[in-house]
Amino acid sequence: MYTIGKVAKQMGISTDTLRYYEKEGLVSPVSKTEAGYRLYNDTALQRIRFIKHAQQCGFTLSNIHELLKLKNEDSACCNDVRSVAIEKKLFLEHKIKSLRVMSQALSELIKICDDETRPLEECPILAALESSLDRHTKGVKHD
Amino acid sequence: MIKVEVFSSPGCGKCTQAKNMLKAVVDEMGQGQITWREVNILEEMDYAVELGVMSSPSIAINGELAFSSLPSAKKLHSELSKRLTLAIT
Repeated sequence: MYTIGKVAKQMGISTDTLRYYEKEGLVSPVSKTEAGYRLYNDTALQRIRFIKHAQQCGFTLSNIHELLKLKNEDSACCNDVRSVAIEKKLFLEHKIKSLRVMSQALSELIKICDDETRPLEECPILAALESSLDRHTKGVKHD
Repeated sequence: MIKVEVFSSPGCGKCTQAKNMLKAVVDEMGQGQITWREVNILEEMDYAVELGVMSSPSIAINGELAFSSLPSAKKLHSELSKRLTLAIT
């Protein structure tokens, strides 16, 4: 059995995170000491490792909940897990696409600011942002 | 010509049956006016993202996401009827 402090140290997470996992129904201590300290077993450690790996792949705690539920469901199959993974990948690809658009917009703004010695009131980046905001506001009004 | 594209991943057993049923709707209504293409999301991820596909299976009609899950045969029939009428007028 391991105390919450030991588990946190071994897993490289905080004790608050472990308590949060417990609150979210992801990992629970198997028992508590007389003094009320949480005690975890090896199964709990395995589950925490699972959560950490899943987070590294971009899964949210809500996704992880779903994955853990599937893991314990007799009627579930590998393909159910695969579907969750495919949907996560689609989500990430959408995010990458939006980030690329943002990055491109920033590149264009950086390009128009060719003289960094200009005073702030002549900053073309701020001017461009203000004018695009104007355009957007007018567009919304016309809609 | 109306283009129906079904986005899914191979191995999705529950999709196969539903897809066959929907394809039958398209075949019945199509009469050379509707095309049916099955898109493997994993092979055409960029295209799926471009159309806004966020879940599998999904259906796009004429390059626009129309259903984010497989619709009933009735729903697909109604959507295609609407588009066929628009195409004629």
